[in-house]
Amino acid sequence: MSTHTDPTDASLAILRGALQQVSPPPALEAALGAHFRRTHRKPRPSLWWMPPLALAATVAIVSWMIRGAHAPDPAMAGAPDIVIEVDNTPFLALKPLERIALEPGTTVVASEFPRALLADWGLPVAPDRAGEPVRAETLYSANGEALAVRLVN
Amino acid sequence: MDMPPYDPRAEHALLARMKSGDETAFDQLYRRHKDAVYRFALLYSGSAAQAADVTQDTFMHFIGHPEGYDPARGAIGAWLCGVARNLARRSLGHREDATDPAELADDAALDASQVDTQTPLERILRNEAAETVRRAVASIAPHYRDVLVLCELSDLSYAEAAQVCGIDIGTVRSRLHRARAQLAARLASLAPRAQEAISP
Repeated sequence: MSTHTDPTDASLAILRGALQQVSPPPALEAALGAHFRRTHRKPRPSLWWMPPLALAATVAIVSWMIRGAHAPDPAMAGAPDIVIEVDNTPFLALKPLERIALEPGTTVVASEFPRALLADWGLPVAPDRAGEPVRAETLYSANGEALAVRLVN
Repeated sequence: MDMPPYDPRAEHALLARMKSGDETAFDQLYRRHKDAVYRFALLYSGSAAQAADVTQDTFMHFIGHPEGYDPARGAIGAWLCGVARNLARRSLGHREDATDPAELADDAALDASQVDTQTPLERILRNEAAETVRRAVASIAPHYRDVLVLCELSDLSYAEAAQVCGIDIGTVRSRLHRARAQLAARLASLAPRAQEAISP
């Protein structure tokens, strides 16, 4: 840069020449390469939506099966429409949802049973009302196993 | 000290590829500029370990903030030297407090507090005469030393040095002149024999 030819230039030339012999540690390049890869790593696809989707699909399948069980009898096709009050209380699964979804030939049966039976399914029961009957709709498998239950009152 | 031949189009193409995640482009830019940045940091800090740290931090900053480089304001190498200078100043802390260009009158007499007397004296160059010169450079006032290192030892243009230091080109010229005068005096006082040996 300078055009001086004095001793300072000679000194700087010596220093410049000696500096040509020094370089950063080789390990630095590897460390920076690793840092670059970390910085530019493509984010992994997020799978957070999988569990809710699986649950929604299971609920939809169960609902469809229950509606199938309530399908009108073809013999009643000509009968006048009857307004039926449907209790929208959700069904409580007594078996794993995956199994219920795959169960063929299910049936919904309205029934009454002692309230104490709820305790067998893990539901809270007041001791003083254990003897009262409970109206419920129960989803049964083809071989008569209770799969899900819905309390009507 | 040789800076890589400056080819703005090629470097900007590499920079664009680097920004898009191309590691080979970063590798090429690193290999082009690592020596200049390291040597600048070495002269600035006077310590091989600190120079390595500053070099690493400089390129990590480059990886994380490549948009900080403005092609309109100079070469990538000059910008990296500016980053290295800022990081080195930060790591050196209080020793550089008095070198803020805004606080300095360029023609003011050198205050003793502005002379760097605490530069580590570890031997970092094999050549004894070169080591003597390095120590002499390290001992001059930081704001003069900056310009000397940038213009005489890092091959930056006056405009690039002015950009790095945040001063105008006229100040670069006057500081360089004073830096050379101080260096000559330091060399004479530090190692008169060595100075005689390298004189033409």
